[in-house]
Amino acid sequence: MHHSFGDPARGFAEADLVREESFDCAEINHAQMEPHAALAEYDPERERLTLHSVTQVPFYVHLTLARCLDMDSSRIRVVKPFVGGGFGARTETLNFEIIAALLARKAGGKVMMHLTREESFLTHRGRPRTQVRLKIGLSREGRITAVECEAVMSGGAYAGYGIVTILYAGALLHGIYAIENIKYDGYRVYTNQPPCGAMRGHGTVDVRHAFEAMLDRMARDLGLDPFALRRANLLTAPLFTPNGLMVNSYGLGECLDKVEAASGWAERKGRLGRGKGLGMACSHYVSGAAKPVHWTGEPHAVVSMKLDFDGGITVLTGASDIGQGSSTIVALAAAEVIGIDLGRVRVVANDSVITPKDNGSYSSRVTFMVGNAAIEAARAMRAKLIDAAAELLDADPADVDCAGETFFVKGSSQSELGFHDVAIAALAKEGTITVKGTFTTPIEAQGGKHRGGAVGSTMGFSYAAQVVEVSVDEATGQISVDHVWAALDCGFAINPLAVEGQIEGSVWMGMGQGLCEETTYLDGLPAHSNLTDYRFPTIADSPPIDVQIVESIDPLGPFGAKEAGEGALSGFPPALVNAVADAIGLDANVLPLTPDRVLEALIRQRRSQRRKEAAE
Amino acid sequence: MTEALPDFALARPATVDEVMAALQGAPGAALLAGGTDMMVRIRKGLAAPGTVIDLSGIGELDGIERSEAGLRIGAGVTLDRIEDTAEIARDYPALARAAATVAGPSHRTVATLGGNLCLDTRCVYYNQSHWWRQSHDFCLKYKGDTCHVAPQGNRCRAAFSGDLAPALMVHDAALEIAGPEGRRRVNLSDFYVEDGAAHLALGPQEIVVAVHLPGGGRVSDYRKIRVRQAVDFPLAGVAVARDDSGDGVRLLVAVTGTNSRPLMIEPIELPPGAAADEAVFAALDKRVQKAVSPQRTTLIAPHYRRLSAAALAVRMARELL
Repeated sequence: MHHSFGDPARGFAEADLVREESFDCAEINHAQMEPHAALAEYDPERERLTLHSVTQVPFYVHLTLARCLDMDSSRIRVVKPFVGGGFGARTETLNFEIIAALLARKAGGKVMMHLTREESFLTHRGRPRTQVRLKIGLSREGRITAVECEAVMSGGAYAGYGIVTILYAGALLHGIYAIENIKYDGYRVYTNQPPCGAMRGHGTVDVRHAFEAMLDRMARDLGLDPFALRRANLLTAPLFTPNGLMVNSYGLGECLDKVEAASGWAERKGRLGRGKGLGMACSHYVSGAAKPVHWTGEPHAVVSMKLDFDGGITVLTGASDIGQGSSTIVALAAAEVIGIDLGRVRVVANDSVITPKDNGSYSSRVTFMVGNAAIEAARAMRAKLIDAAAELLDADPADVDCAGETFFVKGSSQSELGFHDVAIAALAKEGTITVKGTFTTPIEAQGGKHRGGAVGSTMGFSYAAQVVEVSVDEATGQISVDHVWAALDCGFAINPLAVEGQIEGSVWMGMGQGLCEETTYLDGLPAHSNLTDYRFPTIADSPPIDVQIVESIDPLGPFGAKEAGEGALSGFPPALVNAVADAIGLDANVLPLTPDRVLEALIRQRRSQRRKEAAE
Repeated sequence: MTEALPDFALARPATVDEVMAALQGAPGAALLAGGTDMMVRIRKGLAAPGTVIDLSGIGELDGIERSEAGLRIGAGVTLDRIEDTAEIARDYPALARAAATVAGPSHRTVATLGGNLCLDTRCVYYNQSHWWRQSHDFCLKYKGDTCHVAPQGNRCRAAFSGDLAPALMVHDAALEIAGPEGRRRVNLSDFYVEDGAAHLALGPQEIVVAVHLPGGGRVSDYRKIRVRQAVDFPLAGVAVARDDSGDGVRLLVAVTGTNSRPLMIEPIELPPGAAADEAVFAALDKRVQKAVSPQRTTLIAPHYRRLSAAALAVRMARELL
């Protein structure tokens, strides 16, 4: 992939400082708690297949099953039960789903597949090893004049989402800072290994790592504070980036303010003594791909809502809750808009014979798209109830309101109607009430006209800043993360508890990639495919994480919300590397920073220091 | 597919004598205590015992007793109990600390002293699934004839990874072993052999019954190098104890995780009145680096394990001397 925007050559010519470095980030895996599993049931008399699977994308699995089994899609039913995590591992149809379905058809009955941890690792679809060569030009004041980036991803034996990964890596050089001149060359290389794919922070993480680490070093070269350098490059929303990405809301400046103050940066940075350090970095992520992977021309999200004799509101959604809380968002949206108790709302999700089609849980699309569709459906439901209440109250519907499950004429406290009375009146008119809401991304959000321009396009970006404090043991190379301060602009926190959890989870997953996670192949075989050798951090390694939420209220977001589940991840590895540089003066260009790598780098550093002293 | 357990007969003896009888009747039987390592190995096809002898019902293995000679800890005492016993933390601090670093808290509620001392050696070419090992034609340790870590050599290089052994060694611990000929005692440092495929000097019908620690105790410590602060086996683990019983000061050092057995390092001896200076620490650093021989048995580089083992030894020596 080759993209060039603005005039990079001129940008570098105008720069007061140009720096170029190479970074090497290891391949990692999602290592979600639950190994893969599917249950397929084939009814030979009716020639129908039902598949229960842990997928994040039941709709894509449905289409792929129809193709692979050469069945009419109407004969297939896909159900996604509660699952134990995804993080991108399940955003494409996977081996076990097809195998279980084929076996069930052959057997004319039920077949269940439980993959072992090893088989889940082999199925992979993790983040590829990425080598990044990055060149940045800065003015004396710290303004970015030009960027040139080359990314090489070792993708495994199949493409999968690889094209999207390599496109994201380039597209998301944009949309966080004001940069006019950017050249990007991305190479996604086939290797004789398990296929890579989508993983939390899809495409952006390793390039963002290189970028934020370099900015820190260049701030040092220019004698600028790392916060000041970022502030010199902030965007002013609304705008379109040079590659056509739409930015309507932008809370990065506020994120910077919050973590700078909370971490005591001004007083503490550079004053913690040898072996201790502070580092910071920024990051961003899309709130859903404005163009879906499988383009049908349909709305991007549909939510149905039903009111029946029991007075319950049933929300039908195809959005896959993989632990991120999408069903809760849908329920909250319904309760908020209609003016009813959350307990009255029941969400039924992910059964292709019952729930509307949904593209799936990936690229942080669900809150934005499905949330907006849920709001629209709830408004339609509310209108029906208001009409019925207006008739009972002998008032104009425009004057009737509903709050706390009570319908009343605005400004009057004389006659109030309970929810059940109104529901019975509304049902008497037409029987069971069903409504739906949809969301379609605006055309201007769908990216530039250049090849691959749709990737990275979104309705709104989340923004994050974080500060990481570390202690480094120079005798053993061990790094301890002592504290993290993270702030995320998620537009509006519909469910603040979930937003905090997502930020902590992002920080923690970024910590795994920064400190210790990597895949290793011995003679072509994965040597890491168990939870002893694939080392993600334990709770014993987890620092206190101070979380702050910034609300920039996006004009298109549901209640102003944007994504919250991925944006804070890619800031952690560079903030860690920058903190290590602050602690022991070591600029690391490889991930993860395992103790052997740190010690080896320290030995090299001491050796070159001695050589330098001997030469002087 | 789920790694299923193979068929086996289960014996549940109530006494050590009954264990002897069971072992005699079923050669190759596996002794099961906490099972935290053994069950994983059986599921991975790394052991196929026809009989599993459950040791959980044997009262004799479960006691901590004080005697004039010192302390006797039954082989079946769990690691969390060792960690939480005040007397152990006071007189043998390295042991309590070593126990606290093993795996995770839930493992330690069932994992035992005997199990940790008799822990199988580990290697990245060995602790893999059946098909993985098969595609390498297995290895010298199990079903194969080549050590993939050191193909030119003729022995298995798998590393011993128990945390407790070095901590006990610097306190001059001895093992009480029951066998067909009755009971015997052996110094813990003589119990291990530098061979990853046969690293225990334990007869096929013998069982470790208890650990004996001499009285008096010593100031001691244990630390381990690992990537994560829980779960991980030691990349290198070091125990250090200060012995003031003689004329001068003796510093005992033992290392685990680097060889096929836990090693005693030649002790540092300070004559009466002598202070530990930089030369002493430099000598210790050199001694540890020379004594250990980590191989490519883990995904972390051998050289790092050598350097960090020495660094831990020197750090604790500085604190104790």
